[in-house]
Amino acid sequence: MAEPALAVSREGDQTIVRLSGQWTLAHLSSAPVLPVMLEGSLVMDGSSLAGLDTSGAHRLISLLRQSGIALETVQMRGMSPKASQVWALVADRLRLTEGAESVKPQGLLYQIGLGTAESWHHLTGVTAFIGRVVTEWLGLFRRPGAFRMKEFTVQLESVFVYAIPIIFAMLFLLGVVFAYLMGVQAQKFGANIFVVDGVAAAILREISPVIVAILIAGRSGAAMTAQLGTMKVNEEIDALSVLGLSPYGVLVLPRILALLLAMPLLVFIGDVAGLLGGMLVAKTQLGIEFSQFWDRLDSVLKMKTLLLGLFKAPVFAVFIGLIACRMGLSVSRDARSVGANTTSTVVQSIVAIIVLNAMFAVAFSDIGI
Amino acid sequence: MPAQPMNESVIEVENIVTRLGGALIHDGVNLSVRRGEVTALIGGSGTGKSVLLKEIIGLLKPQAGMIRLFGQDVWNVNESGLMALRRRFGVLFQDGALFSSLNVEQNVALPLLEHTKLPPDECLELARLKIVLAGLPVSAGIKMPSELSGGMRKRAALARALALDPELLFLDEPTSGLDPISARAFDRLIRLLSDSLGLTVFLVTHDLDTLLTMVDRIIVLAHGKVLGQGSVEDLRKIDDPWLRDYFSARYSEEQA
Repeated sequence: MAEPALAVSREGDQTIVRLSGQWTLAHLSSAPVLPVMLEGSLVMDGSSLAGLDTSGAHRLISLLRQSGIALETVQMRGMSPKASQVWALVADRLRLTEGAESVKPQGLLYQIGLGTAESWHHLTGVTAFIGRVVTEWLGLFRRPGAFRMKEFTVQLESVFVYAIPIIFAMLFLLGVVFAYLMGVQAQKFGANIFVVDGVAAAILREISPVIVAILIAGRSGAAMTAQLGTMKVNEEIDALSVLGLSPYGVLVLPRILALLLAMPLLVFIGDVAGLLGGMLVAKTQLGIEFSQFWDRLDSVLKMKTLLLGLFKAPVFAVFIGLIACRMGLSVSRDARSVGANTTSTVVQSIVAIIVLNAMFAVAFSDIGI
Repeated sequence: MPAQPMNESVIEVENIVTRLGGALIHDGVNLSVRRGEVTALIGGSGTGKSVLLKEIIGLLKPQAGMIRLFGQDVWNVNESGLMALRRRFGVLFQDGALFSSLNVEQNVALPLLEHTKLPPDECLELARLKIVLAGLPVSAGIKMPSELSGGMRKRAALARALALDPELLFLDEPTSGLDPISARAFDRLIRLLSDSLGLTVFLVTHDLDTLLTMVDRIIVLAHGKVLGQGSVEDLRKIDDPWLRDYFSARYSEEQA
């Protein structure tokens, strides 16, 4: 009873298709196919039809079409008023679905062109963005009162204060690993004390600035893009502009400046954590007392090693801030774009950090520091 | 469908009590909706219309009371029972809630692909049928939701709500954010679908024109209870300040 079925019979020169059962979406998977051999005029008899919905009507019309029967020539009889209404609506509207296009996969040339156009768009967007940020920043010198102190402190809290535990823990562990690996090598030569030189130089000059920057890019950069992007989706950015407030002054500058201040501080905390980790391993694995470690550190560690690491931090901070805010503000009005731009912020930031760090390494060695 | 009597209650709400964050929203709401009827729920801002809608479709649990859809207690069925129940109704959310990473066709085809065993080609054809039934050109199918205007977005969302050929359709402020012409066209579309497909429609609205043109019965929610129900004429007789204000401005114009 419930299953949709049809029976074909002949009455004179007419072909009768008798429908029965539920021609509804829930029962459709088992719907029968229409025999191909049909002659003369076709009559559809719905007197024993238990139910018909738009999906059922669609399936019936498709069957008729597959058998090469024009819908207009089909006569209906015995249909309930409701079923004939559904049939009429679907038969009427189905004509409109003809000529539907499907999404065509585009060729290589198209992709290259699109990529080029997008890169160009991105480049001009970045240039305009940096221009706006610098203009706003210069404007602060003329009107220092316009600086958003509250937003700045809120950002500083989330970028700096809440990042301290994770930065400390990560750099401490990296100090432990680094001292341990160097210790294994140094022990072979009885050169235990030189582990101090190695750990100090590596942590302060390279590891702490780069790892802190990567952590902040993943932690704060992603958060900034997601927040600004959601504000863009909610039209909050437009609302700010209309209220006569610059989104750059209110949102972007405080974020970049908070990063600028937080990063060197965090790198310093990372330096301390890394050295503590190194000291711990030096004592337990290599038998170097804390006082010995400290003396050695005092004699070999030059001020410039510390300063080089700290100098890199604000440069990384500016790049993370610019990338995060730019990607946040360039979100288009849908959820997918927020996700894509947040990912892009993290990837771009990390690439920028690694490339900049390589450039610094080459530049510093060229000028002999 | 034809076997079921037309006066059967599709939605039954009994003594619903809702507290949200300490505030008492509903204090014993009772209502029922019969099969094939277009019923509108109205009420001032903050009277809990949308909250009641969420409770009926099983998204938010009321503190007390019973809600039955098609005779089944929504808050007392197991997970699979609720899923089966949900396949029998469609919901049009206020801003459409189209999935922004899928195009319109894929949005509409999604419930078909997930809940039926039909081949993907037929799902896509059915999705296109639903798109034209909702009054969109079939070429809109390959557009992304972010490329649609407000009115088209509503229609696309309606197409998705109709995807599984539901018996019952919930609409949350279907005409909000539409211009008067699109809003009236949308009303006519809902009425046409309701009449020709035998759909039961339950809508939350603020739009007086919707009430005057396409609704069979109006239910007024105020002070945590159902204040009254019936046609616009019936509601005019109720002595309530909010209801008087609501009808007075426009209705006197219509009469003049």
